[in-house]
Amino acid sequence: MLLHHRASLTPLPRVVILGAGGFLSPVLRRNLKMHGASVAALGRAAIDLSVPDAGTRLAQHLGPQDVVVMAAGLTPDKGKNVATLMANLRMGEAVSRAIEQVRPAQFIYISSDGVYDARFSSLLNEESTSEPADLYCLMHVAREKILAQSCRQAGIPFLVVRPCAIYGPGDTHNSYGPNRFFRSALNDGKITLFGNGEERRHHVFVDDVAELIRLCIAHASTGVINAVTGRAISFGELAEKIVRLVGGRVVVERQPRVSPVTHRHFDTSALARAFPSFRATSLDDGFEKMLAGLSEANPAAEEQEAVCLRS
Amino acid sequence: MTPIGFAGLSHLGIVYSAASAARGFSVVAFDDRPGLVGELAARRFPVLEPGLAEICREHGDKLRYTSDERQLAQCRLVFVALDVTTDDANESDLTPLEALLSKVTPNLATDTTLVILSQLPPGFSRRLSAQLPRGVELYYQVETLVFGNAVARAVHPERIIIGRREVGCGEAPPALPTQYASYLEAFDCPILQMRYESAELCKIAINCFLVSSVATANTLAGICERIGADWREIVPALRLDQRIGPHAYLTPGLGIAGGNLERDLVTVERLAAENGCDASVVTAWQRNSRYRKDWVLGRLFDSGLLDDPKRTRIGVWGLAYKQDTHSTRNSPSLHLLRALHAYSFQAYDPAAQIDEKQFPHVRVCSGMEEAAEDADVLLVMTPWREFATAQLGSVLPRMRGRMVVDPYGVLPQERCQQLGYQYQRMGA
Repeated sequence: MLLHHRASLTPLPRVVILGAGGFLSPVLRRNLKMHGASVAALGRAAIDLSVPDAGTRLAQHLGPQDVVVMAAGLTPDKGKNVATLMANLRMGEAVSRAIEQVRPAQFIYISSDGVYDARFSSLLNEESTSEPADLYCLMHVAREKILAQSCRQAGIPFLVVRPCAIYGPGDTHNSYGPNRFFRSALNDGKITLFGNGEERRHHVFVDDVAELIRLCIAHASTGVINAVTGRAISFGELAEKIVRLVGGRVVVERQPRVSPVTHRHFDTSALARAFPSFRATSLDDGFEKMLAGLSEANPAAEEQEAVCLRS
Repeated sequence: MTPIGFAGLSHLGIVYSAASAARGFSVVAFDDRPGLVGELAARRFPVLEPGLAEICREHGDKLRYTSDERQLAQCRLVFVALDVTTDDANESDLTPLEALLSKVTPNLATDTTLVILSQLPPGFSRRLSAQLPRGVELYYQVETLVFGNAVARAVHPERIIIGRREVGCGEAPPALPTQYASYLEAFDCPILQMRYESAELCKIAINCFLVSSVATANTLAGICERIGADWREIVPALRLDQRIGPHAYLTPGLGIAGGNLERDLVTVERLAAENGCDASVVTAWQRNSRYRKDWVLGRLFDSGLLDDPKRTRIGVWGLAYKQDTHSTRNSPSLHLLRALHAYSFQAYDPAAQIDEKQFPHVRVCSGMEEAAEDADVLLVMTPWREFATAQLGSVLPRMRGRMVVDPYGVLPQERCQQLGYQYQRMGA
């Protein structure tokens, strides 16, 4: 459950984002600056969180009035093996040491909806059990616990944000879904689906995740919130939308699926209760922005003819 | 015959003592809470129950209220009927009941039959039985009152369920004490006798089956809303199935409320945890209830009506947790009011009241029209029959917006839509 500890706060406090090189960081930085926050974003160049003295070094960059947002981690495209898990846990350990020492005003951990296993519930929410299905998701569960304990012991207000699949033009790891579909449609003239793309998932525009984090900072919120919006949509329907939007000749290919169909649906009641006036970007609007953002980097894609072939 | 005694005049005690008088018995009803006896004697009841004032008026000559527990000494049949309250976690607080028993039992004559009507956890009766003065025989009688229909159910029960210390090994249990047996006969219904623990759990079992029925209705109604089915079309077919029955609880709801059902679910979970039994289905019902409480919030959130808290005005019909009561315990309406504390509400309820200090954003109205005036959306949060009589042709045009959320389907859907209003209800 999410708890707000103040009605609202302007201007915002100084925010330190860990994970400057990630997808979310530049968008979050832009949003926070627009709302008057002073923002520092630390990437690997500034501090490598996986080295032994990272905690001590990180503490030197933090102050007790800061809000710290941890969005740093090795994403699944960098490996879903034990080595990546342990590297991510070492990062979590370093951050926990730093925040225990400095005791910032609020600590926000950007986790993932992957901590939930949809086999155990047809409708997930913040009360759903954490049942990670792979080592990447296990990493997030473990880091949530590590950081929660540190915050509890140090008296630091702690918030976990669990986004569903985030899409946006600045995506850095080409995840299966809108990010990959747009890029492959524009660059290669095709979208590849597993099976017929029957799986239904939520997709949240990156700007919305940034805005939710900003609201949580403004309200000094603690607890857990899923950054999920709207209704789940199948990958097949996503592909059709993108094909229509991109124009040109885009082929939808189908490959044999490697896993059974599972759907992930989220109950947005907690979000509605926490921020009733929050309006998520609709998928149609988000895709327009996505296309505009990507087309600036790839103008030739707009000249391709759009065709959607079905087997 | 000596009068029958009642101790503890909360909702349960007030209704059962009146029902006993209606069945021809002389009643001495005790409670020592300041001022209560005076109010009851003046027929000013702290509870709202259809028919209560009428039977008290008609049989008032047989009903004597007292704040002196020594008056119970003249009774050979005494009912303890104090409602057991619950805390925010829906756990029973037995302290007031225990205090009442400590006050009452020393005044009982040695050949008194003591019957507890209060809502007890399994094990309580047997422990109490061992502590009572010699000669006082304890029975537990399961109360099955329904708020808003309590008087009818007390005067004309479907059956009476009794828990006793021993049920015997033979075909029939040992005879009941004479006055208690005569009392029960007056209600002309089946009498089911069982051991204490079975009766205590029977009360909980009844509520669990009711909850299971509603939770199933909730789940399937939710699916109806997504796949184009209408739950109302399905319900008659279910009622005609003998295994389900014409009186089954099949109306989807906005979560469990009122306090009693919630208490019993918590009790089952506790008993299961203490004794190593699986109660995951009960946990699922509670989760379903929490999910359903946000049904209306979800509709408003998805509609975009909540975008501007300063501008949005929400009209609400209904504050009570159900119709025909003034209780707002765990009310879905108040749950919504708390969730949307940044928004302006104007609310009307025929009976329930709220503490306006706790709800400064809510203006309490004196009627349906006033609550709908200039509202951007109208929410019908409690299925009071009065709301079904609203002249929609003149009430709805008072609104600023054109959206009606009527979860229980109290208003005629077609009429709302003919008048040009967007209409939403559960199950469709």
